[in-house]
Amino acid sequence: MRAFVTVGSTKFDALIHAALSAPVTSALGRKGYTELVVQCGNSEVEERVFGAPYEMEGLRVHVWRFKPTLEGDFDEADLVISHAGSGTILDVLRKGKPLIVVPNTTLADNHQEELAKALSALGHLGASTVGELPQTILDFDASALTPFPAYDGSRFRKLLDDEMGYTS
Amino acid sequence: MALALVLLLLLSVVVAFRIYVAFTPRQRSAPKARPAETCGLAVFLGSGGHTSEALSLLHSLDFSRYTPRTYFVGVGDPLSVQKVTALELLKTGTLPESTVTNPAAQHRVLTIPRARRVHQNLLTTPFSALYSLLVSAYHVTVAPFLCRSRGPATRFDVLLLNGPGTCFVLCLAVLLNRVLGLPSPRVIYVESFARVKSLSLTGKLIRPFVDSFVVQWPDLLDDGRRGSCYGWLV
Repeated sequence: MRAFVTVGSTKFDALIHAALSAPVTSALGRKGYTELVVQCGNSEVEERVFGAPYEMEGLRVHVWRFKPTLEGDFDEADLVISHAGSGTILDVLRKGKPLIVVPNTTLADNHQEELAKALSALGHLGASTVGELPQTILDFDASALTPFPAYDGSRFRKLLDDEMGYTS
Repeated sequence: MALALVLLLLLSVVVAFRIYVAFTPRQRSAPKARPAETCGLAVFLGSGGHTSEALSLLHSLDFSRYTPRTYFVGVGDPLSVQKVTALELLKTGTLPESTVTNPAAQHRVLTIPRARRVHQNLLTTPFSALYSLLVSAYHVTVAPFLCRSRGPATRFDVLLLNGPGTCFVLCLAVLLNRVLGLPSPRVIYVESFARVKSLSLTGKLIRPFVDSFVVQWPDLLDDGRRGSCYGWLV
């Protein structure tokens, strides 16, 4: 089983440090994960972690910064852990992948936390913090999540058609 | 002297009236007499998540109805241009063209300077915002006026905005058309899916000026001010 940690195009040092720390890797190991892939974006990470995958707490760990698209990595993941950016959330939930988000509370205009809380209250994902991430991973039950609705283009199409006077 | 005063007074009344008219949101368009009539569409792609959401909204539309299409992108945002190209290829099988080389082009990409770059000094913001406004006014006010004879390619009937700040400048350019009594597009602002309980700064600023203000989470309308919510649109 593979866990995929991603911060998209952002910099989120605390999440990446937590993901590569013993509490998180051992929690993942206890839940049966054997692989951890970390897309760290612009976060500050020790250079030695890059390059070939390495072993840590029984996990095969692979760290890299960017790829043109993360779609393949979402497809291959059994669990995604990410910052609470709305683009990443939509991409992962639309793929039907279990998701735990960690809002980046250091952002000046912090609306990530609102979105994370609202979607977690609806049962679509798990919301956590950097400190609580190991416990959230242990408690997380992907089968209890509420499936996220598919993209429904008819709403905006109708909205704009109504606005512009198209009645049919 | 008295005549000059009267003229000045009259002029101020007219200007005040024009400004009042310009700043009053418009009712929905009257039903189209012919359903086959096309509607020129313009959209501002604000990069990153803004671009993704805007293109997700456009994805739902009938492109044979909403044509021609104008995509405004910020200077130095090649990713948004790539995404436009991908969407147009998917929906129409063709690539964007310049209206200069082909006045009959069905879609085009125009760049406008950003009103404010991320981390830009607040002191220099008025200047970059003014430059952005001048370029926007050229595309929204001047070019459609000058190019009337060149066909409908430079005109648009609806302008779709979803942030960030630079989109406010395009909205101001539309208000300029209204003050001047020129034809102006309907302006629709859609707040981001990411905004659950508090509006973005752009959303707060632009709310009184747009014809339609749409949010994706109902709590944002709890203040009882204008706006509508149809659930998630992206």
